[in-house]
Formats: sequence, C-alpha cells, structure tokens
Amino acid sequence: MGLINYNIEKYTPQQLVIIPLALLVVSLILLSLNMVTTGMPVKPGIDFSGGTAVTLDTSDTSDQLKAVFAAYPLTEVSEGVNNGKFLKFGSMDDAKFRSLTELISQKYPNAKIDQIGESFGKTLQQQAVLAVIFSFIGMAIVIYLSFRTFVPATAVVLSAFADMVMTAAAMNLVGIPLTLGTTAALLMLIGYSVDSDILLTNRVLKRQGKLTDKLKGAFQTGIIMTSTTFAAVTAMLIVSWLGSVQILMEISAVLLIGLVFDVLNTWLTNAALLKWYVQKDGGK
Amino acid sequence: MNSKEIKGIVTDWRVATLIILVVLSVFAIFPHFDNEGNLATNLQYGLDLQQGAWIQLEFGAEVVGFTTDRPVDEVVKELSTRLDTEVYQIDETHLEIRKFYTQAELEPVFTAAGGKLTSYNQGVSKATAEDVKRILENKINTLGTKDAKVNTLTGLNNVARYVRVELAGVDMKQAQEIVGKQGKFEIRVQTLGNSTEHVLFGDAITSVQMPSQEPPGSDKWGVGFTLSEDGATAFQNAAIKYGATVDPANHYLIMLLDNKTIYSAPLSEDLAGKLQGEKTRQLFASTGTGKYGTQQATNLEIHLRAGALPVDVNIAGSGGVSAPLGERYKLMALLAGLFALLTVAFVIYYRYREPGIVLPMVLINASEIVILLGFISLIKFQMDLPTIAGLIAVLGTGIDQLVVITDEILHEGKVPSPNLYLKRLSRALSIIVTAAATVFIAMLPLALMDLSTLKGFAIITILGVLVGVIITRPAYGKIIMEILSK
Repeated sequence: MGLINYNIEKYTPQQLVIIPLALLVVSLILLSLNMVTTGMPVKPGIDFSGGTAVTLDTSDTSDQLKAVFAAYPLTEVSEGVNNGKFLKFGSMDDAKFRSLTELISQKYPNAKIDQIGESFGKTLQQQAVLAVIFSFIGMAIVIYLSFRTFVPATAVVLSAFADMVMTAAAMNLVGIPLTLGTTAALLMLIGYSVDSDILLTNRVLKRQGKLTDKLKGAFQTGIIMTSTTFAAVTAMLIVSWLGSVQILMEISAVLLIGLVFDVLNTWLTNAALLKWYVQKDGGK
Repeated sequence: MNSKEIKGIVTDWRVATLIILVVLSVFAIFPHFDNEGNLATNLQYGLDLQQGAWIQLEFGAEVVGFTTDRPVDEVVKELSTRLDTEVYQIDETHLEIRKFYTQAELEPVFTAAGGKLTSYNQGVSKATAEDVKRILENKINTLGTKDAKVNTLTGLNNVARYVRVELAGVDMKQAQEIVGKQGKFEIRVQTLGNSTEHVLFGDAITSVQMPSQEPPGSDKWGVGFTLSEDGATAFQNAAIKYGATVDPANHYLIMLLDNKTIYSAPLSEDLAGKLQGEKTRQLFASTGTGKYGTQQATNLEIHLRAGALPVDVNIAGSGGVSAPLGERYKLMALLAGLFALLTVAFVIYYRYREPGIVLPMVLINASEIVILLGFISLIKFQMDLPTIAGLIAVLGTGIDQLVVITDEILHEGKVPSPNLYLKRLSRALSIIVTAAATVFIAMLPLALMDLSTLKGFAIITILGVLVGVIITRPAYGKIIMEILSK
C-alpha cells in the first residue's frame, strides 16, 4: 500500500524509540498503579473475580432492569445494540443465585448466564497468569533459537512485550476487563506481533542491499499483513457488536488495540534496535 | 492458462494433497438437509452456540501426602475419628479425606495421630472422581437428557478438584435441579401420629433396580432395591421395635430426600409377617398402577440412586444459554467468518490488483478454514464462541503468511527464474515456520491447561497453524509460481 511513506533514514535509533519508550513507561506505570490499588494489573472480569454475567435480549431500559433486579447485587448494566443488555452481579450464595436464574428464566427467557464462584475464579486466574508467563517464555525461546543473535532476538521479544503491556494498559483506559477471552486475545497478540517482527528482522539481516530499501520493502509487506488481520478482526468486531456477542466483541477489541501498538512497536521499536545493531556492526 | 497448465498444477503433490483434503473435509462436515428440510452439518456445537447449561462442581475434599512410623491402618482409623469423616488410603503415601479442611486445620490433627502432613491438594483421587462421574452420568441418563457430558478435571498431580457437567437442550434451572445438590436420602418409620424415627441412610442401599411390575405382568409398578447386611438388620430391628410388623397401617415407612418426603407407604402384609422372623435385603417399593405408577417409579428410582455422591460438592461455576440466543450466536459466528473473509479479500485486492494473485490467495485461505472445520467434525470437537474467534484469527494469520510468500517471490517486481524462485520460497517459508512455531508455543500452555473455554480456542489456533505450514502454504507456493511464471 503506497499510501504511507515509511522512511526512517533521517532519524537516529534513539529518536525512533523515544515515542514507544515513553508509551511503555506510561503503560507500566498505569499497570502498577492498578496493581497497587486493586491487586491486578488489569481490572478482572467475572471469570477471575467471581460473580455472574447475564446477557439479555430485551427492550427494557437500564433503569427498568435495575428495578427488576433490585433484590440482587447488580453491579453494572451496559447496553449493546439491537436490545442487547449486559448485566453483572457480584457474588451471591447458591440459594440467591438459584432464585436469580429462576427470575431470569421467567422474565427474560432469552438469556445467557455465566456464573463463576470466587474460589474457582481465583484458580482460573492463577492458571491464566501461568499460561501467559509460559507462553511468553516459550515465544522468547523460539525467537532466540531461530535468530541465534542476541540483539535482533531481544528486539523481537521486547516488541512483543511492549505490545502486551501497552494493550493491557489500554484495556484499563477503555474499560475492557481481563477475562478468559481477553487473556486469549493477549496471547494471540504474541503470535501476531512476532509475525511482522520476524519478517522485518529476516529482511534486514538476510537480504542484500541498502538498509533503507530493505526497511521500506519489509514495511510494505508488513503493513499489508497487519491490514489484512486488522480487516478480519474488524469484521469480527462489527458483527459481534451488532449481534451482542460479548466475548467476541472483547476479543476483537483487544486484538485491534494490540495490532495498532504492534505497528508502532515493529516499525519504531524493533526497527530502531535493528538499525542500531546493523550500523554498529558496520552493516551486513 | 490452458488446460495443460492447470493439469500441471493439480497433479503437483502439494496441490493434490490440498484438494483431496478439502474434498475429504467437505465429506466430514457433511452439509445436508435433515428431515425437516433444514440445513444440517456434522459440526458439533458447544454450549454457547445451542441451548444448554453447564455446571462445574468443586469437591469439598482433599488429597494429602503423609508419612508415619505407626501402622498406616491405625493412623487412617484415628484420622477418620478425629476428622469425623471417611479417610481412604490412595497409595502408600497419600490419603483422601472426604470433608473439607484447610491445610492448617489438618496439620495438628496429623501430628496428634502420629503422622506428618507432607502435601495438600483440594480435590479427590482419580478413582473417586470416576465414581462421582458415573453417579452423575447415571442420574442424568435416567432423566433422558439428550446430550450430556460429564468431565472430571484432573490435574498433573492426579488430583481432581472439579467435575464439569454439560447438558445440551436443558435450561439452567433444570440443570441445577439435576446436578446442583447432593441428595441426602433417609428412610424413617412412623412411630406415633406424626412423629417418626430414623431407620437408615442412603449409604445402606447397595443397589437400585429398574422400575418393574410386581407381580410381573401386572399393572402394578414399583422399584426394587437392595440393602446392605447392616442396613437389612437396621430395617428389621426398626420395623419390629416401632410396631410396623404387627400394625403396618399405622406405621408407614417414609423415604426422605433432603428432608422432603418422596415416598410413604405401609409394609405389605407379606413383608410384615416375614420381617418378624428374619431380615431381608431385597425390598420393593410399589408406586401404583398405570401411567402414574410408572412415572412415580421412574422418579423414585432416581431418588434412590441419587442416594449420595460420596463427597460433598459446591457449585464452582455454572452457566447457560437459551435456544434463540444460541441460534443467534451461531448465525453471528457464521456472518463474522464470511465477513472477515470478504474484507480480507478486499484488502488483498487493494494491494495486488491482480485477480490471478488475489483469487488463489482467498481460495487457499478459505480452504484452510474448510479443512479445519472438516477436522473439527471428524474429531467431534465442540465448537464454541472462543473457537470461532480462533478460526477467524487463523484466517488473519493465514493470509499474512500468504502475503509474505507472495512479496518475497515478487521481490523488486521481477518474475524470478525457477532457481531464484525456490531460494525465495524457502526464505519465505523460513519466516513462516518461525512465526508458526511461536504461535504454536504461545498457545500450547492454554491447550494443555484446563482453562475451560480457552482450550478450544488454543487447540484450533494450533491446528490452524499446523494445517497452514504443512498443507496450504506449500500448495500456495506451487500455485503462485505457475501463475507468476506465465
């Protein structure tokens, strides 16, 4: 796509990393602030904190719903399009939950209910944290093994890390909770993010030619890759938004945010580190 | 392109494999019209794409490691008394305690019993988990639920902490009724007026028979059940002690499930007389005649079977989807997939503007999804919403890699010679394999762990990566070479 002219020739690596670095620092601060105040870097959804999530198809307004569920610990009502309503409840005991399901099946037979107990949520959370850590380590191992040179491999791993951290921070700002679905999306980002990084590194290190041309060529391919993924995920977001499919909506929103940061981290962070590495060695 | 060239492409083993797999996949998916004229496939849907409910139960028990210098039998016995519950030895160093205690609560008890606690995991042994599974399956099957799955989630340490029940075609209320609570079964005998005395608990019932007619061939229905030796003794003693054998009409026998009366009847003349002299292990509870009698007998059978799970359980989580919402999710998932493929095709067209490149790309991309769906049908994998997200993600990464191949080959706009072509293709494939390996590794923890719905997502993503690297990318490399060298 010839629309964007990617030319980083006139900038030094230091100038290039300054924006992503600043963003990364801000993101890390945001996440640690959250960690200190809530105990989790990203606000956990009911999958991890426990509680009940209900999706309804009703023309009742939020206020009407609040009145209907006044006897239950309703914490949040949000609206989708086409009468989709998303309700969240805090923890309640078995008896209360049974009466809630009874009320829902009576009044709103067209519903989806998900309830996670607090201790189960905690177990899920521990496992999710482990999954993220293992995934990241696994990814790093593959990258180091396949590149076998320290700086380029570290650049890729660092970009992936920055992607995840920035996306997680953005989730807090936008108000997307960390659920099983969004955890999966974050892991998916590891895969997406290294895609374009690997392409970039390969082109720069293994091809002959001027660095600027190689970067330009890699960018042409890379940006198309990101646009196709972006297109597929946007399609998913639009359809799931129209159909009030919350889990798909959250997954695709996180992927979209992540892809934007991926563009930034691949073509500024990773490219800058590569440029520095190649110039330091006198170019290959 | 003439027919000879097409033949050349199709007979290439890479392309041929792809085509054969796509055809096989279509057979596996088997799109057809069912009896009602609706389009149906072999695809299995998870509980968020059809009506159904799931309940995950947590065992209120623990498996602990221990050491002791005393004879193990004695320690187990002492622990059982001190903890006021059943304690079973699983292997030389592990015990199952069938009541919930924290580690801190257990430690002093073990010390007092002359042992030492070495490990602590909430849950039950694999064998007990299998028992629970069987009991739940029985309970569900007798109710004639269409499609039910019971899975115990056993960790790497061989301790099962959860059991998950998935019921298709059932709403949450029903599901809760079926599995939510552990029944406490008791038989009591009427003493005077409204007061009753305890006779035995559900654990004294060793087996329950199917509803049957007594005498055979008559229209009188009921359920037979067998008592343990001890249970039979208790039953005889109570019947004699409280006068049920001499005056059955005023001393009904009452069966309670969770303190609710589910059955109440006098001893038959026969049995009353017989019990005076000897105990009997085989009993028969008659429920009446005709349709009503059969219905009652079926219910009573479940109640008798529902005697008890061997372990206490809590509901750890549950959920359900209504039928119309499930249908809508299914439709939305299909739309999302098609729409994603379309937008991807549009972006690709915008970039290359060459139908000769765009068409194979999109077709290859679609074929990948078809092969995945075929595989999913074959292994009877249940598709749920996260799986759909996985499929769409596969679509996205798939096209990415086709772009890498195309751009690598088209480098500097020149159509390469066969030699150069192969060099470039292998360079493109090395990028792809590295990227695929990272996705594979990144998703592996999710596929192996039991994070409920995410397992499907991870498995599909991994499968997608494998199908891509092994089958569709090489085929695309061949096709695009033929097209470009035209």
